[in-house]
Amino acid sequence: MSQAVRVITLTMDGREISARGDQTVLQVARENNMYIPTLCHLTGLARVGSCRLCLVEVKGINKLLPACVTRVEEGWEVSLNSERLSKYRKSILELLFSERNHVCAVCVSNGHCELQTLAQTLGMTHVHFAYRYPRLAVDGSHDRFVVDHNRCILCTRCVRVCDEIEGAHTWDLLGRGVNAQVITDLNQPWGESDTCTGCGKCINVCPTGALVEKGKSVREMTKQRQFLPYLTLMRERRW
Amino acid sequence: MITLTSLPLAEADQEFLDKVIAQRGGRPGALLGILGKAQDHQPRKFLPRETLEYIAAKTDTPLARIFSVVTFYALFNLEPQGKNTICICRGTACHTRGSRELLESLMFKLGFHDPDDEMADKISLNTNDGKYTIRTVACFGQCALAPVVEVNHEVYGHMNEQTLQRELEHLGRETAKK
Repeated sequence: MSQAVRVITLTMDGREISARGDQTVLQVARENNMYIPTLCHLTGLARVGSCRLCLVEVKGINKLLPACVTRVEEGWEVSLNSERLSKYRKSILELLFSERNHVCAVCVSNGHCELQTLAQTLGMTHVHFAYRYPRLAVDGSHDRFVVDHNRCILCTRCVRVCDEIEGAHTWDLLGRGVNAQVITDLNQPWGESDTCTGCGKCINVCPTGALVEKGKSVREMTKQRQFLPYLTLMRERRW
Repeated sequence: MITLTSLPLAEADQEFLDKVIAQRGGRPGALLGILGKAQDHQPRKFLPRETLEYIAAKTDTPLARIFSVVTFYALFNLEPQGKNTICICRGTACHTRGSRELLESLMFKLGFHDPDDEMADKISLNTNDGKYTIRTVACFGQCALAPVVEVNHEVYGHMNEQTLQRELEHLGRETAKK
């Protein structure tokens, strides 16, 4: 913590809160047990602000701000769950659902999928957009893991954990827009990747059933993420 | 599915890449320039697998990152390009002046029959004989001359099927001469 960090006060959903000036809206909200939905954000990984689910309203600022990458400022009046926000968030979720083939009933992550949980929490009852039903590949060439592009939401958590925590940078994104897809190395089958260490961190950070371990049942496929805060802490201390 | 073309890297090419990397390497954003130079240096204006792997190794860039960059930017080609590039504008002004028909007739003449290709937002097709590349672009900024076609980096305005056919025949003769 730098010396010049000020303590500021702001209100969130009408509650007066004090926070450090170097904190993000999301951090402050979580410290005070207030809920902001997130999808691409994962504590311990770089913040990209790409899913836009954590958008919040600040009085006096016309545009919506992504809570995970916005620093708090003195005197802000933030609202976390207005009607406008809930409408936007539901639309974002609907777009995510319509973009690929998310069929919970046959998914190995059914019951512990972050996309599914968010849809339930935010009360998304149906999708207003036409489903795209893209024909996407399932790559099972790796000994232990499978990537199912039909269930990927392009949050890039796997890309970040592989680059920042594991240091292998096996994953990245191919193309852009509707053609974007996660790839391993030079878009080759995962099993042929030279850089993949097989650590399984990407499996555990994946919010959906896009990255899973072979031969695991739905009940077994719960994500284990204790390693993330632990490794972050250990590397900061450089032990 | 995007696939890479394999083409062994000659020693002279390696030296060229070494020089470019020595000049530009180490700075943020250097990768784009290096890849651009590598593509220009290639006679068929594309980036083969071996070139990408060589650049990755020399600049300490992850392979996945390199692939991500070359697929994000439309200026990079992963397939050998034709000797002649014909680029048809699919902007709004050109569309209303019949660029769809121009594109369809051109694709038909060069032997492409897949209607999916015609519907795609962005086209980059190479004929098997290596003579032509067809591309589409969103706008050349020459809407007053719609429909616009760019042939080998020269912009032609007010094109119709006859003038395009004439241009194609001209290109055919020129290519045969070489």
